[in-house]
Amino acid sequence: MDDRFSTTELREAFFISLYRSTFPAVARYVARMGGSLEEAQDIFQDALVIYYEKATVADNEHAYVAGIAKRLWLQHYRNVAQHQPLNELDRVEEQEEQPVTGRIMRYLETAGKKCMDLLKAHYYDRLPAGSLAKRFGYTSTHTATVAKYKCLEKVRTVVKEKSLAYADFVE
Amino acid sequence: MRTSLNKIKAIEEYLLGGSTPVFEANLILDPELAQEVALQRETYTAIRQYGRDQLRAEIAHAQKVVTGSPEFMRYITRLFKKG
Repeated sequence: MDDRFSTTELREAFFISLYRSTFPAVARYVARMGGSLEEAQDIFQDALVIYYEKATVADNEHAYVAGIAKRLWLQHYRNVAQHQPLNELDRVEEQEEQPVTGRIMRYLETAGKKCMDLLKAHYYDRLPAGSLAKRFGYTSTHTATVAKYKCLEKVRTVVKEKSLAYADFVE
Repeated sequence: MRTSLNKIKAIEEYLLGGSTPVFEANLILDPELAQEVALQRETYTAIRQYGRDQLRAEIAHAQKVVTGSPEFMRYITRLFKKG
């Protein structure tokens, strides 16, 4: 992942610019196919998420996002026509493993925010080690790496405790 | 690094990098390790979910900024007018 995605501000600026340049084409396509503005927006948002998660390979964002959006629309259209739930292809894979419960997520968003931000920057935004250290105020990439594993340990403990607490509760 | 952190690092290499015969053997010999692997997998899922939730919020904000322009929205809504 390159540095144009390294902060919230940079990402938002990127999405705003992509929205302006690419959404009209996607909206025109969806409108022509009989879809609504809301459907076009939902599809465009999903396309942006998919693009972001694969962004290391693509260099022409307009063509790439518009292409994903068209595929998503065709899939959506087919499913609506057949009254069937969304299936595979390029859909955002929300839950390919066991879903993490909302309770754990809510806890992590508050109590573990600092660690989650560090872990997200590394695993989800794929910031290079140097940028990661700089952004979170570590003196070296080694210190940042150790901090990352400490956070992983902490979050893993939370996941374990919360899962166990829940198991006790439902039994 | 502490032993426990090195273990986390080894599990990460197994989950994100790929399995090795030594690790596979340890998994069979050590049931606790298998449990730790499962927990750590769930932890990565939580991190990805956290990242995705935040990304969606950022995208929603970007959409709000862009659709706040009446000129842009006039153009877009015209596309959805029937006939």
